[in-house]
Amino acid sequence: MTDETVFADATQVAGSSELMIELQGVDKFFGDFQALKDIDMRVGKQEVVVVIGPSGSGKSTMIRCINRLEEHDSGRIVVGGIELSDDIKNIQEVRKETGMVFQQFNLFPHLTVIDNITLGPRQVRNMPKKQAEDLANDLLVKVKIPEQAHKYPGQLSGGQQQRVAIARSLAMSPKVMLFDEPTSALDPEMIKEVLDTMQELAESGMTMIVVTHEMGFAREVADRVVFMADGEIVEVGTPEHFFMNPTEERTKLFLSQIL
Amino acid sequence: MTPVATTAEDTATNKRPHSRTPPGVWLRKNLFSTWYNTLLTLVFGAFFLWAILALIRYLVNVDTEIIRVNLRLYMAGRFPSEQLPRLWAGIFVACAGVGLFSRAVVRKSEAKAKDAGLEFERSTIGDLVRRFWPLGLLIIFTLSFTETITPTLLTLTALAVGIFSYWVAGALPGFIIVRLWVIPLVATIAFYLAIAGFGGVGWDLWSGFFLNLVLTTAGITLAFPLGLVLALGRRSTLPAVRYLSVTYIEILRGVPMITLLLMGAFALGFLIPGDRQFSLFLRILIAIVLFQSAYIAEVVRGGLQSVPQGQVEAAQSVGLSPWKTMRLIVLPQALRNVIPAMVGQFISLYKDTTLVLIVGLLDLLRAATISTSQPEFVAQGLERVVLPFAALFFWVGSYVMSRESRRLEKKLGVGER
Repeated sequence: MTDETVFADATQVAGSSELMIELQGVDKFFGDFQALKDIDMRVGKQEVVVVIGPSGSGKSTMIRCINRLEEHDSGRIVVGGIELSDDIKNIQEVRKETGMVFQQFNLFPHLTVIDNITLGPRQVRNMPKKQAEDLANDLLVKVKIPEQAHKYPGQLSGGQQQRVAIARSLAMSPKVMLFDEPTSALDPEMIKEVLDTMQELAESGMTMIVVTHEMGFAREVADRVVFMADGEIVEVGTPEHFFMNPTEERTKLFLSQIL
Repeated sequence: MTPVATTAEDTATNKRPHSRTPPGVWLRKNLFSTWYNTLLTLVFGAFFLWAILALIRYLVNVDTEIIRVNLRLYMAGRFPSEQLPRLWAGIFVACAGVGLFSRAVVRKSEAKAKDAGLEFERSTIGDLVRRFWPLGLLIIFTLSFTETITPTLLTLTALAVGIFSYWVAGALPGFIIVRLWVIPLVATIAFYLAIAGFGGVGWDLWSGFFLNLVLTTAGITLAFPLGLVLALGRRSTLPAVRYLSVTYIEILRGVPMITLLLMGAFALGFLIPGDRQFSLFLRILIAIVLFQSAYIAEVVRGGLQSVPQGQVEAAQSVGLSPWKTMRLIVLPQALRNVIPAMVGQFISLYKDTTLVLIVGLLDLLRAATISTSQPEFVAQGLERVVLPFAALFFWVGSYVMSRESRRLEKKLGVGER
């Protein structure tokens, strides 16, 4: 996308028309503190949305609400046509279709790399062992660490661990991938390998929401950039708009601090 | 006998050479470096020398006649002597169970390592000796007090049964290897039948060191699952389950075990309606299990809390149900993290089985103390002989358990992330 578009709000989908994720008037409180204030957002199929903003702005909380790691207090969240409710069945369905990559990787340290990846397909999708392992090996090739299959996470570097975590999520063949600051815990020399993997994933047509501080990634891969501050969506636009002519004062301030 | 699946990294660190210092340098550096270190070395050296000499004098003067005469009382207590073959049969069954089980475990890990394309390191006889030498020495030491050759022959037979079973287990069908728990289950039933079945000796007559062993094994096998359930109950989101677990744990932890044993012996009967009464053995076992499970629950809770929340979130985001998250992700890590504390609890359970003497059960300690009031041994201060003898059995068991726990910890890589 080369045009420089400003969106009135985050409900306007770039590109594809088919809707994948919809947030409507979502509020979230931690005690008295309001972490999310009336969030409206839509993400279309195959769209890559990068969420940026200062720490404490609610970016992580927002994507954690999308697969119910946090429970939203009011509003609606619909993922792949399923609305999140208190029904555990619904939540499980949404989680099956939603991959999540964490800042701290959260690999299972007591399982080998291959067992980390096959766990979901075997336990949740009841896939036969052999088939799950073939799938895992394919994914390890995809994230470029096929030789690490039988090691434990503790024996891998941070970048390798994060790529295993991506493979683990992909093994469930999700419709959506959520990335919660996937490179923030990595040593600088390992950031690129993870970002490359994510970029390939984006190019393969995966629907992605990425919370990150990597502006290079946002500029290159994002279809839309969402800027959040104080629990609100402040500004939405194409990367070109965002990095050339941000309109909001808070956006300008934030960008001037990090760029 | 359990195998270790090692990776290249592990072997590399294990084989790191030690740097050796000459003894003279070592002495100067560690014992005589300053004037106060020299003073401490001399004072403590003299004390240890004195203590060792006193111990030798004590041991040389010991007349072990009382042990020779009462060995059967110590080991089997009131077990009827004409029924002793059944006790041996029970021991054979236990040995067979251990043999079958350990081979099955080896085969399972072997298959797992092969599956993962890793090298499989089989343990050697040397490893076994290193792991269980205190046990072997204790058995030889005990046999040295026997009057006839029969117990020695029977012990050797038991050993042979164990080795034979290990060999036989090489041919066990695969479905048993997958369901390892079948072996201990069948062995336990066979053990009970061998001793108590078909007009045998019921557990109210089980006594001596045999009683300590049975109470320990049964106590651990029953208290561990109960403790696990209580720990999970304490973390439950259902208030009723949670408060029930907390109440149970806090009440039982706040009561001395002796009180519980006394209640088991004298008060539990009133709590059970009807004429049907449990035997004393069962009531005592229940008291032990109730008490220990509360402690085990707290140990497990510590383990559950040590697993980071991120692990649960990762499992949830993969789509695992709450139950599978607990069973496949949280519990394995939680239990691994508390192996030392858990084994500590088991060791204390083992030693606490001696407390049953206050309700009149004849365990090893009780047998040892009453033997000193037999007419031919009374008032000779023979407690100094029999008490260390009894203590040795508990020390060896505890020591082996603690070493095995350290081995397990290492094998499962506690602290490695």
